[in-house]
Amino acid sequence: MGYAQRKVATTAAKLAHVSSQHLKALPTKHLSAGRSAGAPPAVFDAQSWAASQPPPRSTLAAFVHRIGLGNVVSSPDVIQQAVTHPSFVQLHTQQHPDQPLPATNASLATLGNSLLGLFATEYVNSSYPHLPTRVLKAAVSAHVGPTTCANLAREMGVTPILRWHRSSSASTQNSVLHADALASVPRALTALVYQYRSLRSARRFAEKFFFSRDVDMRSMIKFRDPKQTLLATVEKYGRERPVSRLLKETGRYSQSPVFVVGIYSGADQLGEGFGSSLKMAEYRAAEDSLLRLYLTRQPPHLLQLPSSTFPDAVGNVFDAVGTEGAYSPTSLGDSEVLYGSAGRAGIRVPGARSRVVEAEDSDLDIYV
Amino acid sequence: MKPRLSLSSPLRFTRSYATRLPERPPSRNPDPLLNNPYAVYKDLPENVTFIHRPPPTAPSPLSYTTLPASPLLQSSATPVDRPLPPSLWKDKGEKPRVSDEDIARIRQLRREDPQTWTRGRLAAEFNCTQWFVGKITSLKSADRKKVVAEVEKAHAANRDKWGERRKLNADIRKKRKEFW
Repeated sequence: MGYAQRKVATTAAKLAHVSSQHLKALPTKHLSAGRSAGAPPAVFDAQSWAASQPPPRSTLAAFVHRIGLGNVVSSPDVIQQAVTHPSFVQLHTQQHPDQPLPATNASLATLGNSLLGLFATEYVNSSYPHLPTRVLKAAVSAHVGPTTCANLAREMGVTPILRWHRSSSASTQNSVLHADALASVPRALTALVYQYRSLRSARRFAEKFFFSRDVDMRSMIKFRDPKQTLLATVEKYGRERPVSRLLKETGRYSQSPVFVVGIYSGADQLGEGFGSSLKMAEYRAAEDSLLRLYLTRQPPHLLQLPSSTFPDAVGNVFDAVGTEGAYSPTSLGDSEVLYGSAGRAGIRVPGARSRVVEAEDSDLDIYV
Repeated sequence: MKPRLSLSSPLRFTRSYATRLPERPPSRNPDPLLNNPYAVYKDLPENVTFIHRPPPTAPSPLSYTTLPASPLLQSSATPVDRPLPPSLWKDKGEKPRVSDEDIARIRQLRREDPQTWTRGRLAAEFNCTQWFVGKITSLKSADRKKVVAEVEKAHAANRDKWGERRKLNADIRKKRKEFW
């Protein structure tokens, strides 16, 4: 190689995180030969060329062993497909127009996304049977959403081997964000585990990487009017009306008072809260009462997931042959109260635990 | 009568009655760590005692279905056997139920003339709460928006009369409420 070619190779190697020993093909040929006389001189873009180079097979092998799929996936080419975002195709055809199109992770990522959504939803729903629906959705996003997938990809070490391209054409409307490109990789890996093993194995993969992360559920729950919600919730459970009671106070009429208020239903204390005013303490007590209910969790060793009924044998859900796993469904929690809907005043939705069933309202037609 | 000292004595300025203390005595408050009803003591080997003292008003972050923290999930309500802490608000007592004829009358009046028969006036007339009147009646969306806009205009006119300090205090209270 001449000096200029060596210089190009080392510059490109620095950009592409690859060693210059691995760079066999250099770009000069397709730029110099075969150009028409009137065409402007081609400018070599080292960055694009470096980005279009495949990562060395040793990097892919190291990556797949690092995440524990060394014996699952048949060859590093499969992993190369999993780390290739669809936006890469355009870059590849620009740089290597004569080579076949690279395999991308588009369908793998879609399949993996569906699988992760399934696993996360059943996990969160079985763990927190009394969680409101909107919070359940937020929790599922927190566990397997795009941000989490992108962070997980960075932690796995996907950044140097990810193959993607930021913008498809001159316009920036179809641009791809780096985080979105990264997020496609863990989804694709989940789909690969399903393909090469089974649904149960894919769930184990999700449990290891996604459900082991700490998700703070308390911060996801915000209330518009916790007192009103608590009133409706307690009525649904058929208990006495909640009454706020002052447990402790100090510094009233001073610059920094502290009040501790508890909300009682009969003799049961539903929740407790402190504040610098009576209203603030009552608000927090109502929030605490509802959070104690919503964040009631199934202990991990007693968790029952519906996907356990699939046999733990190699093959997809249609072909796997084996004994079905045990699953005993837990009783459904009462759904959360819906308020603020003006048109439904007067329609009562009974809770499973409600005691008060008036004789004249036993006609089921009026229940929604 | 107490014997008085002669003026020539060197102790002429000694008072014979008890004086108040010149300094505030150091406050001797009982140690809250002792006699804590929530404290749990456990003896460990090597003469070590492990004392667990959770703050008495911290809500429990752990609630399991096997041992729920919310009494709503327990099978039945506990019976009231001891006096409970004082209620925050005065118990106004329940108002008598509004009869069906009165409910129909309320709806009719509100439909006919919402300007005269406001929620407040209907509540006073039929001895119920404004909230109840709002539950059984409702204006059409366009009318409601008009009324709300008028009320908001009146409130905004009042707010314009506020001085800087009042505005600032109101904003501070609004911001504090966000952190409740």
